[in-house]
Amino acid sequence: MRSRSAPGALRVLFAGVALACAASGRAQQPGAGGPVAKPQDAVLVASFNIQVFGESKLAKTPVVDVLARVVRCFDIVAIQEVRAKSDEIVPSFVRAVNADGSRYHYVIGPRQGRTVSKEQYAFIYDTNRIEVDGSSVGVVPDPQGRLHRPPMHARFRTRVVPVEMAFTFWLVDTHTDPDEVPQELEALAGVFQAMQAARPDEDDVILLGDLNAGPPQFGAFQRIPGIGWALSGVTTNTRRTKTYDNLIFAQPATREYLGRSGVLDLQNTFALPLEHALEVSDHNPVWGAFYPAEVRSQSLPPMAGQPAVRR
Amino acid sequence: MQPERCGHGKFAEELAVAEIEALIGQLQDADPGRRGAAAELLCRHGAAAAAAALALARACADEDDQVREWAAAALEDLGPPPAGSIPELGNLVGSSHPLVAYWAATLLGRSGQNAATATTALAACLASASDPAVAQRAAWALGKIGPAAATGRDALEKAALSADPRLARLAREALQAIGP
Repeated sequence: MRSRSAPGALRVLFAGVALACAASGRAQQPGAGGPVAKPQDAVLVASFNIQVFGESKLAKTPVVDVLARVVRCFDIVAIQEVRAKSDEIVPSFVRAVNADGSRYHYVIGPRQGRTVSKEQYAFIYDTNRIEVDGSSVGVVPDPQGRLHRPPMHARFRTRVVPVEMAFTFWLVDTHTDPDEVPQELEALAGVFQAMQAARPDEDDVILLGDLNAGPPQFGAFQRIPGIGWALSGVTTNTRRTKTYDNLIFAQPATREYLGRSGVLDLQNTFALPLEHALEVSDHNPVWGAFYPAEVRSQSLPPMAGQPAVRR
Repeated sequence: MQPERCGHGKFAEELAVAEIEALIGQLQDADPGRRGAAAELLCRHGAAAAAAALALARACADEDDQVREWAAAALEDLGPPPAGSIPELGNLVGSSHPLVAYWAATLLGRSGQNAATATTALAACLASASDPAVAQRAAWALGKIGPAAATGRDALEKAALSADPRLARLAREALQAIGP
């Protein structure tokens, strides 16, 4: 299985939903109107490299406004490039996200990197729809020093369905070193397999982040049965020249993937000229849609009166 | 192609070059806020800011956190430096600031065999660097230079025996790239 792209009509429909959730922040005063309603038949998992997300970016109110509206479009956002001495960046940002009545929370990893210039990974998630297993949060061990910024992992469960039906999954947040991409992708393929084996009761692993590479360079992952990725043939950086960001998962296990994915283009979504979009980030957020209940057969169980989807 | 479109494209390119030169100058400003703003704007230019490679490497020693963070972020996505900066990068590899030496070595490695003249400096860095990340990048850079880095073989053979598994691996890979 390779990239599953959504049928054209669904992709256009979701693009409309994404625009609606992004636009709602423009129309409303903070705290008024409440959070945007989200679908009951999908959870949206995103990855976003927020390029040097630190004090200077947080000081720019228009940038924070856009970032907050991006986060509110999704159920979970895996973030890369938190770069700050202060521990207040992500908490302050999450307060901004929640200024409209949303209830997002976060988990954040340690500062990592081989030089004094370090980065943190974070997951920001909608607590109305997602919960985290606090004991699952950690960093992938890397005793051989193969990864500049070893990925952060955490296990999540959806709250959209009864707990006994809920989709549970590992997220593995990563940002490769652009000078050692082939070597790091090789190491990440090993990380993926290790995460698949980490718990006998968890077969769903989603590796996501800034890989500094697109699918043609994903050869290292080919040894993993059924491996696939959400995005192919689309650019993911703000300048629309490169495919660097993706979500990778193995289809035999992760049947919950709905075949819908996309790039939230900052320029189009927020009507920003390129130079203003680059103030937000040099990456666009990328996302994939997953069924909120565990899928144990070839058919998705019906939700809210909808017919079963044969896969 | 319309002549005015050609003119517009060339004009935009000249503007970008002028802007980058101005930002390189601004990295020396007395005001850390203006230095940080310059580093941030250079970062946004991505690989188009390659002419600022040397200035950004030096900015990694700035006393201000934000200047260093934006400079390092800019360097990460910069790609190879201009060929004319290689001699000075060879000097910066010996810097006492680890972040400066790290990025100088990285930029030399990105230059491949064009950085052959920096082999002696990189080998010296590999032999003497107290910062493991700097030594690792020096080994990596020698491997990227390839056969033209043969005079670095002694330093690499010592590094290949290092207790640091990453350094040892990078040194072995560099020796393979240099060849017999």
